[in-house]
Amino acid sequence: MARSVLERARTAPPRYWLVGLVVIFFLGFPTVISSFLASEWTQALVLAIAIMGLNILVGYSGQLSLGHGALMALGAYTSAIIVHDYQVDYLVTIPIAGLLTGGIGFLFGIPALRLSALYLALATFALAVVTPSLIKRPAGLTGGVQGILVPQPDPPALASSAYSAVTGTAMTSEQWIYYITLFCALVLFWLAWNLVRHRPGRAMRAIRDGEVAAAASGINIAGYKTLAFAISAFYAGVAGSLFGLTIGFVSPDTFPVALSIQLLVGAVIGGLASIPGPLLGAIFAYFLPIESSQWVPSQTWLPDQITSTVKNAGPAVSYGVVLILLMIFAPTGLVGLLTRGYAALNRRLRGAGDRETGHLPPDPQTV
Amino acid sequence: MSSLLELEGVRAGYGPTSVLHGVSLSVPDGGVVSLLGANGAGKTTTLRAITGGVRWTGEIRLGGRSLRGKPTEDIVRAGVAHVPEGRGILTELTVDENLRLGSHLRRDGADVKKDYDRVFEYFPVLKERRRLSASTLSGGEQQMLALARAFLMKPRLMLLDEPSLGLAPMVVRSIFEIIRAINQTSKVAVLLVEQNARIALELSSDAYVLEVGRVAVHGDSTELKNNESVRRSYLGY
Amino acid sequence: MQELFQLLVSGIATGGIFASLALALVLIYNAMGLVNFAQGEMAMFATFIAYALIQRGMSYWIAFPVTLVLAFAGGILVQRVVIRPVERAPILTLVIITLGLATLVNGLAGFLFGYVPRSFPSPFSAQTVDLLGVFISYRDLGVIAVSGVVLLVLYLLLQRTTVGLTLRAAAFHPEASRLLGVQVSWMLALGWGLASAVGAVSGIMVAPILLLEPNMMQTIIIYAFAAAVLGGIESPLGAVVGGLIVGVTINLAGAYIPHVGGDLQLAVGLAIIILALLLKPNGLFGRAAVRRV
Repeated sequence: MARSVLERARTAPPRYWLVGLVVIFFLGFPTVISSFLASEWTQALVLAIAIMGLNILVGYSGQLSLGHGALMALGAYTSAIIVHDYQVDYLVTIPIAGLLTGGIGFLFGIPALRLSALYLALATFALAVVTPSLIKRPAGLTGGVQGILVPQPDPPALASSAYSAVTGTAMTSEQWIYYITLFCALVLFWLAWNLVRHRPGRAMRAIRDGEVAAAASGINIAGYKTLAFAISAFYAGVAGSLFGLTIGFVSPDTFPVALSIQLLVGAVIGGLASIPGPLLGAIFAYFLPIESSQWVPSQTWLPDQITSTVKNAGPAVSYGVVLILLMIFAPTGLVGLLTRGYAALNRRLRGAGDRETGHLPPDPQTV
Repeated sequence: MSSLLELEGVRAGYGPTSVLHGVSLSVPDGGVVSLLGANGAGKTTTLRAITGGVRWTGEIRLGGRSLRGKPTEDIVRAGVAHVPEGRGILTELTVDENLRLGSHLRRDGADVKKDYDRVFEYFPVLKERRRLSASTLSGGEQQMLALARAFLMKPRLMLLDEPSLGLAPMVVRSIFEIIRAINQTSKVAVLLVEQNARIALELSSDAYVLEVGRVAVHGDSTELKNNESVRRSYLGY
Repeated sequence: MQELFQLLVSGIATGGIFASLALALVLIYNAMGLVNFAQGEMAMFATFIAYALIQRGMSYWIAFPVTLVLAFAGGILVQRVVIRPVERAPILTLVIITLGLATLVNGLAGFLFGYVPRSFPSPFSAQTVDLLGVFISYRDLGVIAVSGVVLLVLYLLLQRTTVGLTLRAAAFHPEASRLLGVQVSWMLALGWGLASAVGAVSGIMVAPILLLEPNMMQTIIIYAFAAAVLGGIESPLGAVVGGLIVGVTINLAGAYIPHVGGDLQLAVGLAIIILALLLKPNGLFGRAAVRRV
């Protein structure tokens, strides 16, 4: 018997409501903040997409990569070059960048099969360090040290009028780019959620938890591992492309090794093998360095010595310290912390287990 | 003779599985005690509990002092040499380096030299193969190395886990002769875990038989040897 | 022909620098199966300490060993405070922690010393000496000599002393060592201390060439990775041989392969890593499997 939409909405687990709220929040957000902030949040969303891809590789299939910044660079430059040389509409280049990077990711995935997690981390780390110099060389193609400018499009008439109808103000370029990015993020997160829930996700998790057992159950290890690489590269490529659009240019220095580290850190901090994790991780990875040098010093209730030290020591030190502390005390990431907190709260409020069924809320890993 | 080692009501296990369900035994100063029983009875677990390799409840005392909460290294430094199942040979190192690890904590240089001489007397093959990697030794030779190393530690108590395992009868005999010699000349107490009950009972003065994590039989070795029903039911011969 | 010889010698000197840092990586890998991504940054920090000491009037040849001692202590401190709480954590957590450490140390150096590159003194004159018709710089010879001495001392320490023995025992057979009274946890700390000191040598040797600044070691660590992977991540001998090969190779590549300039030498390092991992993943001196008991 088909259930009506209303009925499904009523009985949906609280998680789904939360997701709905988050989506609505992100849809409405740009209307109340400045264009500059919208641009910052766009970058955070871009990171979230890349981290989601990395999460599929690391969290679900158990392979380590410290080189996804290089894949983002590939996506970004693909889009920028196509737009620059062939005057194609930027939006069209986004999926192209994704597919190309995905293909390269697949090719990486093949030799990666033979490497242990640590060696893979090492090799991809080296790749990330070398990437800026590799980009600078073919200057004719990549614009060398200067990079390539990416013209930021004006919002199309349809979107602009819809926006002013709702808010009464004109939509800016930054806001249009924000919505493009948000759209891509929603689509890609939804895609990832489906991937993880169905056979590919289960297969990857089986591989992550024990290759020998997985092989014994007939899972095609090589196939799924390279698939994971390809998919994560696709995400990185799309993210890179959006990144170029957001900041208005691409250059070798916008893709240093720090970016690759930031992606892995964001994935782990947010919480591996979860869908909300990458979003939380991206927000952390993007805003912590900025806030630590701005927000903390502006808190007047903290003694001067602390604020001036934090301010001068800069983002790197606070980032490093927070990272280390989080790994020691909360290795399952923010999602893990939240889940444990939520579960503890639940037990407090409801007694153990759901009133009707006696089940405790499932952890994100089973999403 | 006072008790060097005392176990009282020791329970121990691995995770949710409990292996020992209240084992009590004691080893007198300078004495030799056998711990016998079938596979899976808990003999190895008992030894591991003593040197802190597995969590336990109850009481374990060495020289009157409780071993509760002590890390393995500290228990060993208090004078316990444990030759585990598998012998614990450091195969990445040479024979000589393995031996040196036995004596590295000692401060009595002259006596150490004497003990090395004794060791090479008992086990000439170790002297021949000093510089070679310990991985090149045969099973019997590795057992000799483990025993030599334990002796060099100059312990108060030696825990030996199945020294006869996988060895030819001639080799077993000579090793047990050496264990006896070590016990008698250096007054080192020995707690001997063995499946080969016959040779264990010849060496030890006292014996305990474990069955499913409990002491089923305890008594004087000679009495047990001569008790046919005990031998048949518990010792397999 | 002369030029080739000169390139070889300076390649060996550079190789000595790579070998020292690679050796630090190998020490920690042997102790805990972890590649310390922060090794380069720790070396850089130690070099800054040396710089500060020399600025305050200490002579180079006193500041050098003092820095090594301080680096040793720093390594132990890092192991006790940051690594020990997560000793048994999965490898990914450990990798993130070393990355966090790298970020932290780099930022700290920037905070304390600023980002302006400084020139670091070399105790060896910049002159060249005529050896059989080839001009070799004293600096290169000096670096080779210092690296050689450090490696020799480390070798003697590990192979001929009791401390070295217990360190090796704890690294390869932690459980069996415990049964011999070895305090395995402290041996781990010792390993980190030694690695930090050896890495510091690499930093001090390279600073006169590259100019001292917080990002100084970021390329060197890549070459050190290449050396360690090529030689076999578990083998100290491999680290040394690997370092020399990498040093000579990038020198020759930079000179003889037309497209490879200064910046693409790093790409040669990457190529070495990839080729080594594809063709001989255990390295030239590595073992197929290490069983730890």
